[in-house]
Amino acid sequence: MDPLRAQQLAAELEVEMMADMYNRMTSACHRKCVPPHYKEAELSKGESVCLDRCVSKYLDIHERMGKKLTELSMQDEELMKRMQQGSGPV
Amino acid sequence: MAAQISETDQINQFQEFLGIYNKLTETCFLDCVQDFPTREVKPKESTSLSAKAEVLGQPR
Repeated sequence: MDPLRAQQLAAELEVEMMADMYNRMTSACHRKCVPPHYKEAELSKGESVCLDRCVSKYLDIHERMGKKLTELSMQDEELMKRMQQGSGPV
Repeated sequence: MAAQISETDQINQFQEFLGIYNKLTETCFLDCVQDFPTREVKPKESTSLSAKAEVLGQPR
């Protein structure tokens, strides 16, 4: 696959991933910050503040998990390489 | 003896990885974060997150 096409594909997948993240974050923060009372149509001050902080934390965690997964998959790759070398010519 | 992974498979693999990434984030967030006194992730939450990610990220 030519690199430009690969880059384009990766970008598309990333957008898809971000959209999915957005939906999960919205759902999670709604659950955590907005109790199902619905006494009024507007978000209260407390709810707004909570949502702001929730989003901040969620994005932070998203970033950390990214790093963690990269770390784990690199470990896996290392292991695979060593296994392949180990089972080389007898 | 390197197995050549087809292009489509590589793309699907990457897509699956991204899906797992998002689910991992969501699960760890829901389990480890209960309140929002501040915008920052608390040290206790941080420990919980590392532990959780470690467990969930293990190959089967």
